[in-house]
Amino acid sequence: MKKGSGRSRFVFLCAAPAVLLFMIFMIIPTINVFRMSLFRRSAYSVNEEFVGIENFARLMSDENFIRSMQNTILLIVVVTIVTFAFALVFAAILTREEIKGQNFFRIIFYIPNILSVVVISAIFSAIYDTNNGMLNSLLSLLSGKTVAILWKGETVVMTSLIVAMIWQAIGYYMVMYMASMASVPQSLYESAGLDGAGRITQFFQITLPLIWTNIRTTLTFFIISTINMAFLFVKAMTSGGPNGASEVALSYMYKQAYTNSSYGYGMAIGALVFLFSFGLSALVNMVTRREPLEF
Amino acid sequence: MKKKKILSILLVSAMTVSMFAGCGKKQEAPAEGESSGDSKEGGITVAAIETAYGSKMWEDVCAAFTEETGVKVELITDKNLEDVIGPSMQAGDYPDVIHLATGREKALTETFIKDQNIVDITDVLSMTVPGESEKVGDKIAGGFTETSLTNPYGDGKTYLAPMFYSPCGLFYNAGLMKEKGWEMPATWDEMWELGDKAKKEGISLFTYPTTGYFDAFFYALMYSVGGPEFFDKATNYEEGIWDSEEAKTCFDIVSKLASYTEPTTPSQANDQDFTKNQQLVLDNKALFMPNGTWIVGEMAEAPRAEGFEWGMTALPAVKEGGDSYSYTWFEQAWIPGGAKNQDDAKQFVAFLYSDKACELFAGAVNAEGEPAPAIQPVLGIADTLEGDNQMFYGIYDNGAKAAMGNFAAYDSGVVGVSNREVWFDPVNSLVSGNITEEEWIEGIKKNNDQMRENLIK
Repeated sequence: MKKGSGRSRFVFLCAAPAVLLFMIFMIIPTINVFRMSLFRRSAYSVNEEFVGIENFARLMSDENFIRSMQNTILLIVVVTIVTFAFALVFAAILTREEIKGQNFFRIIFYIPNILSVVVISAIFSAIYDTNNGMLNSLLSLLSGKTVAILWKGETVVMTSLIVAMIWQAIGYYMVMYMASMASVPQSLYESAGLDGAGRITQFFQITLPLIWTNIRTTLTFFIISTINMAFLFVKAMTSGGPNGASEVALSYMYKQAYTNSSYGYGMAIGALVFLFSFGLSALVNMVTRREPLEF
Repeated sequence: MKKKKILSILLVSAMTVSMFAGCGKKQEAPAEGESSGDSKEGGITVAAIETAYGSKMWEDVCAAFTEETGVKVELITDKNLEDVIGPSMQAGDYPDVIHLATGREKALTETFIKDQNIVDITDVLSMTVPGESEKVGDKIAGGFTETSLTNPYGDGKTYLAPMFYSPCGLFYNAGLMKEKGWEMPATWDEMWELGDKAKKEGISLFTYPTTGYFDAFFYALMYSVGGPEFFDKATNYEEGIWDSEEAKTCFDIVSKLASYTEPTTPSQANDQDFTKNQQLVLDNKALFMPNGTWIVGEMAEAPRAEGFEWGMTALPAVKEGGDSYSYTWFEQAWIPGGAKNQDDAKQFVAFLYSDKACELFAGAVNAEGEPAPAIQPVLGIADTLEGDNQMFYGIYDNGAKAAMGNFAAYDSGVVGVSNREVWFDPVNSLVSGNITEEEWIEGIKKNNDQMRENLIK
């Protein structure tokens, strides 16, 4: 008995520092965001006024917020699907097939991930430049007439963002999938091959089911990182413009909290985005739940 | 087993100790502050934004202030000043004097204005400039302390000190105008004629760096259309003002200008690519852009068309013989409500208008070592300038009237919108044709009431 209480005290002491740090730096600030979302205040306000759910009610009729949420969802859906597909296919090719310069490709695909978002935005600014940009020059060369598409103009700016984000993300997920594909035993493929299964069948029947846990994890990553990365890309590439066409949830939150001095309103957006990403991750997790396969 | 336990205890205690070490440092910091606090007792902290003028001039001015008054100054300068002083201000630690203009993206100054968290410095105007016999109010040029930029609540009290002014107007390539033999348009009608002529040569009439530059443009336009009276009504969001004849003229001119704007402009009108729009003027792809005198230093290293020469003009008049206006852009220095040493802070603000300080500011050099004079709004300073600046600052001597002021401050009751979003950002969509003039005006009217109801009185 005495030993038991000594042990639990020991465990308590061991866990205490970590729990304390977690409380101070994670739990309390998060609660604070929710608390501040119920107030009308600026970032440096001495006084704050309790307004209840007014901020949230206002959000529901704020066209700009709705547009920024639409943009965020568009990014999550399109970037996830396209990146997921490309990363899986590239990973399968690089692990399963014997091609020359495998390592070279691996590095090439991974490089965008090492670059900072600011560098990537600078690269894409050069690509998207209307007058001297690579993309328009290439299109002009191919079509034989001068192409002057405004890649950062109101109508196509989201597409341009999506392309840049996919380019940046593929390498990271590819390496993750490669790691788990490499641990799938070779013997499974051999016996499947003897049974007459082609490469595509092998991919869908063996590779995919066996790396399923990994895929589920990355899907959550996709949601969280797209929401976060979108903010960086928008900040560095378009500042939300032209006229708010490329505003995403977090950049809109930042704008409200600081530029418009509506800190409480910004926090309300933060709270909603928090719940949204939490809910979406939970949903995806639930939908993709399968009995894990052992090999 | 026992060994393992001892090891775990050791590890945990190491972690705990290191955690408290973190706290310990925190406690140490104020202790240090205290020890240096003795010398700091009469000292002040000055936070100044580093802009195109560089930060050297601030060091010099602070040193001169200490020499004159014996008050020690701790100087903070940074290009992203908000990020440097913001966190400590949220924790309740304020600099004594902040030099940071309105109109920045993070809008820190606007936030303090809305919160009414700025010290009234009306009494500074009747203070004697340290080391001189003149009063501050007598040195500052006329009009500067009567605008809504310095007296945001319209109650006759001054809260923000006017700093570094710069005439804004339309910048163009004077060399190109000469080469083509084009006359400077005196009215908007002549402007459109010039636009058509230029179009034939493949040159667009107009471009703008970002929609943020439209504030100075639009203010000057409002002045030239309806004079100070209309400007005051409009910037105080008077009811029905945007249905008036004057407002309609302003909207029509901007909309027409949008149709003459270089088509790539909106896609580059962001904080990253705006220099590409400025480059359009240097490359003779666009004729005019709204800007300020800092443009010369900002684009000093940029390639340019042969024979390029900076020119600047006030906004054309609306009718023949009408007034033409040039907006006077200036920055602000202010004392936050939480400043601890407000008396010395006021002394410092007064010192900013001393001959010594003006001279140091005017002798500023930017980070590349190029001269970038910061001009204080004191009487008679324009006579001492040279080169391009003589022409720029001489604009008011050449018939243009000075437009000053901005939209009146509203309190935190206005949530979710800002003047820039409502008035100026839609110009991007006007140019690209995604909205019509009516939709733009509709958006303005929709938000005008909200702002009027929450005006700080």
